[in-house]
Amino acid sequence: MNSYEWILYAGIAVWSGLGLYLALLAHKQAGLSRRIKQLARLMEDER
Amino acid sequence: MAGLYPLAPFLALAGGFLLAACQWLILVYAPTEATLGLPQKIFYLHLPLAWWGLFSFFLVFIASGAYLASRKRFWDVLAGAAAEIGLALAALALISGAIWAKTSWGLWWTWDARLTTTLVMCFIYAGYLVVRGMDMQPDRRARIAAVLGIVAFLDVPLVFFSARLWSYIHPPSISLEPEMKHTLVACIASFALLWLGLLLFRWRLAQDAINLEETTKERLMRRE
Repeated sequence: MNSYEWILYAGIAVWSGLGLYLALLAHKQAGLSRRIKQLARLMEDER
Repeated sequence: MAGLYPLAPFLALAGGFLLAACQWLILVYAPTEATLGLPQKIFYLHLPLAWWGLFSFFLVFIASGAYLASRKRFWDVLAGAAAEIGLALAALALISGAIWAKTSWGLWWTWDARLTTTLVMCFIYAGYLVVRGMDMQPDRRARIAAVLGIVAFLDVPLVFFSARLWSYIHPPSISLEPEMKHTLVACIASFALLWLGLLLFRWRLAQDAINLEETTKERLMRRE
C-alpha cells in the first residue's frame, strides 16, 4: 500500500467516525421528539 | 448556553466545510515532512482530535467541580455532553494514530506510555458515561458523576505529559515549517467550530431529555 492510501484510510476513519456520531445524535433526537409528541398527545387527551 | 443553541447548526456546518477545505491545505499546501514522509499528514487530523478530546475532559472536570459547588443541573448536563464528545474525539485520535503508527512504525499498536494512558483515559470516560446512564435518583447520579468527573481527570495530565516523560516511540513534538504550522492552526480552528456545534447539540439533547422526564413524572403524580 502506498502512503497516499494510508492518508486516505485515516481520512475515511475520521470522517466516518464523526458521521456515525452525528447519526447517533440524530437517532437520539428523533426518539426524543417521538416521545415528546406522544406526551403532548396524552396531555391533550386528558384535558 | 441556551442563547448559543441557535448557532449550533451553523457552527457545525461551518466546521465541517472548513475541515473539508483543510484537506486541500493538508494534501497540497503543507509540504511533506523530510523524515516522516507523506504519512505525517495524518498528524493534521490526529492532533486536533486529541487536543479537543483532552479539552472536552478538562471541561468535564470544570463542570463537575461547578456542579458540586452550586448543585445547578446545567453543570451536570454540560459535563455529560462534554464527556461523550471527548470520548468520541479521543477514540478517533486513537484510530487515526493507529493508522499512522502502522505506516511509520510498522505496527498498529504498542504499549507505549502515550498510547496506553490514552486508552486508559478512554476506558475511564466510557465508565463515567455508563454511570451517567444508570437508573438512579437524578441528584444522586449527578453527585456521583461529578465526583467521578473530577477523579477521572487525574489521567488527563498523565496523557499530556506521558510523551515527554516516558514515551519510547511516540514523539513528544514534531518540528514544523511555517506552512505546516498554518495548516495545523487551520485544522485546530475548524475542529473548534465543529466541537462547539456538537457540544451545543448534545447539551440541548440532554436538556430536552431531562425536561421530558420531569414533565412525565409531574403528569404521573397529578394522575395519582
